[in-house]
Amino acid sequence: MPATLMTNAAALPADWRDLLALTKPRVMSLVVFSGLAGMLAAPQLPPLALGFTAILCIALGAGGCGALNQWYEADIDAKMRRTAKRPLPAGRMERQTALHFGVGLSVFSVVLMGLATNWLAAALLAASILFYVLVYTVWLKPRTAQNIVIGGAAGAFPPLIGWVAATGRIEALPVILFAIIFLWTPPHFWALSLFVRSDYAAAGIPMLPVVAGVRSTRRQIFLYSLPMAAAAVVPWLLRLTGPIYGVSAAIFSLVFVVLAGRVLVNRATDPNGMGFEKHLFAYSVFYLFALFTALVADRWIAW
Amino acid sequence: MVSNEDEIIRKRQRERARIMGLLLGGFVILLFFITVAKIGINW
Repeated sequence: MPATLMTNAAALPADWRDLLALTKPRVMSLVVFSGLAGMLAAPQLPPLALGFTAILCIALGAGGCGALNQWYEADIDAKMRRTAKRPLPAGRMERQTALHFGVGLSVFSVVLMGLATNWLAAALLAASILFYVLVYTVWLKPRTAQNIVIGGAAGAFPPLIGWVAATGRIEALPVILFAIIFLWTPPHFWALSLFVRSDYAAAGIPMLPVVAGVRSTRRQIFLYSLPMAAAAVVPWLLRLTGPIYGVSAAIFSLVFVVLAGRVLVNRATDPNGMGFEKHLFAYSVFYLFALFTALVADRWIAW
Repeated sequence: MVSNEDEIIRKRQRERARIMGLLLGGFVILLFFITVAKIGINW
C-alpha cells in the first residue's frame, strides 16, 4: 500500500472496537433491557430461539441507529468534549464505513425480525429506526428545542416491539409502556443537557437549556416528571398489572418527582453546582431499569 | 514506516476476519434454531 494513503488513521481498515463503539453499547443495553421486559411482560412467550432473535434484532437495530447517528453528526460530535473521542470525530474511521455499517445493521435487523417473528414487529422496528435517524437526528435535533420531546418516541419503541414480537398484536399495556418512556425521555435528557449545556451551545444544538435557559429547563423537567409518574402507575390502575408493579412504580416515581423537585429549586448555573441534576440523571437510568424489572417480576410472580 | 502500517492493516484485517467468521458461524446456528422453532410452531 502506498505510504501516501497512510497519512491518517481513517485510511486504515476500521478497528472492530471502533465499529462496536459506533453502536453505542451503553445506550443499547437500556434498549435491549426494555425490549426484553416488553417481551417478558406479554401474556405469551415465543419459543426461546425466536425470542432471542427478536431481542438480537432490537439490539442490532439500536446499533444501526447509533452508527447512522454518529455518521450524520460527526462534525457536531467533534465540537463537543463528551463526543470528540468517538471514532469518526477522532479520525479513526472513514465516514462512509460508518454509513455502510449503520445501513447494513438496520436493514439486516428488520429483515431478520420479519422472518423470525412477524412483520408487524419488523414494521415497528423499521419505523423506530427511521424515526430516530430521519425525524430526530436529521430533522428535529438541529432545529428545535423540542427535539428530545418528539424524538423521545424513537427510544420508546423497544418494549412495544418486544411485546408484538411475542404476541403479534398491539395492546394497551405496551402502548402505556411506550408512553412511559416517551414522557421519561425529556427529564432524563434535559438533566444531562443542563450540566453539559456549554457543549451543546458550542456545537450549535438548540437543546432547551441553550435556547430557553437553565431555569426554564428545570421547570420543564419537573413538569414532565408529573405526567411520567402518572403514566407509570396507569397499568396498575387499569388492572393490567398487579400490586408488585403498582407499588414499585408508585415508590420509584415518587422518588423521581422528589429528585426533579430538588432540581427545580436548585439555583446553580455552573455545572459544578449541579449535583442534583447529576443525581436525577443517574436515577432516571436506574428508574427505567427498576420499573421494567418490577413489571416482569409482577407478571411472573403474581400471575 | 510503511511496513509498520502494513502490519497494522494485516492485524486489523485478521481480527475482523476472525470476528466475521465467528458471527457468520453464530448466524448459521441461529438460523438452524429459528427453523426448528418455526417447524415446531406450525405443527
